[in-house]
Amino acid sequence: MSDRVIIQRVLDGDAEAFSGLVDRHYARCARIAVRIVGNREDAEEAIQDAFLRAFKALGDYEDRERFSAWLTRILVNQCRTVLARTKRRDALFAELDPRRLEFSVAAVLDEGTWPELEDVLERLPADQREAIVLKYADDLTYEEMSRITGAGESALKMRIQRAFARLRAMLQEVPSV
Amino acid sequence: MSDWFERRIARALHANVPLGGDARARRAVMERIRLAAAEGHPVRRRRADPWRRSRNSILGISLAAGVGGITTLSVVAPDARPAASALSSVVIGDTVVSTLRDTLRLVRLMFDAPDARRVAIAGDFNRWDANATPLTREEGSPRWSVTLALRDGEHRYAFVVDGTRWVPDRHAGRSAAGETGRIYSLLNVSRAAN
Repeated sequence: MSDRVIIQRVLDGDAEAFSGLVDRHYARCARIAVRIVGNREDAEEAIQDAFLRAFKALGDYEDRERFSAWLTRILVNQCRTVLARTKRRDALFAELDPRRLEFSVAAVLDEGTWPELEDVLERLPADQREAIVLKYADDLTYEEMSRITGAGESALKMRIQRAFARLRAMLQEVPSV
Repeated sequence: MSDWFERRIARALHANVPLGGDARARRAVMERIRLAAAEGHPVRRRRADPWRRSRNSILGISLAAGVGGITTLSVVAPDARPAASALSSVVIGDTVVSTLRDTLRLVRLMFDAPDARRVAIAGDFNRWDANATPLTREEGSPRWSVTLALRDGEHRYAFVVDGTRWVPDRHAGRSAAGETGRIYSLLNVSRAAN
């Protein structure tokens, strides 16, 4: 069942049908929110608030825009609200243990996971972190990212570029193979 | 810019996080959605009075259906007159809704309909929408149930069987007739008596 059909059912009064949208989009929202706000608890709160706002505003949704992009815009706003409230963007983080880093680089080659990346993401400025997460965790185009963040495409490309420069430095990049 | 480092970043960020697979977290979302739905969200076109649209006589249906009762599992006003048989009161909602601005209480409603293909409840809490609030059939049982988040106060409702048959709750404490002469059930919701 497509997002559009589910939305119509909800607007026709079947609130339970909204669970189809929750099931379909929750994991994607979690990928975004956890990386932007930096912890599971705040991410869960931001996601709940985003789905609730989307539900309440569903009558205003226009299907010229993908539902996923519309939801992401709401989610990013909720994440910003959470960040502003907790001031996590100004938080300091402990230095990484180099031995752990060495282990994680080996692990990423095998499994694609990179726990230290989650740690260093939080050290990025909020706008850079938001940009890199939207581009790579949600596969958004720069045009979609621009609509979601309110920033211009060139500014977003610059944020990504700067984010990569910082990440390379913080993760002590190993030579390409 | 697509080198080893970027590909690894992309792969790592695209990987799901544990929260994404957490069924409890998804259920928590739907609990808040149900509360919002009980408050009338999302705003949508108001439907015509279902009592006027119903092609069947509710009174006749209730007699023909021979269905069993409704059991209220939550906060029923102390002054609500208990039904003859199955009515009982169990608080299940206060902790769930305590963080919300408005006081809402969870009320579990039950309805026995062994031959029904689907059962829903319509009432003033969902704008008398016969599709908005379906009951779930308990496995291996003729019993259907649903949990509602309701504001304190008196609520009017009826069950809708198979999308067409409007059936008042014969186990409700009280019932009343609407302007059109249709009969609906009354439920008082307030702070738990315990």
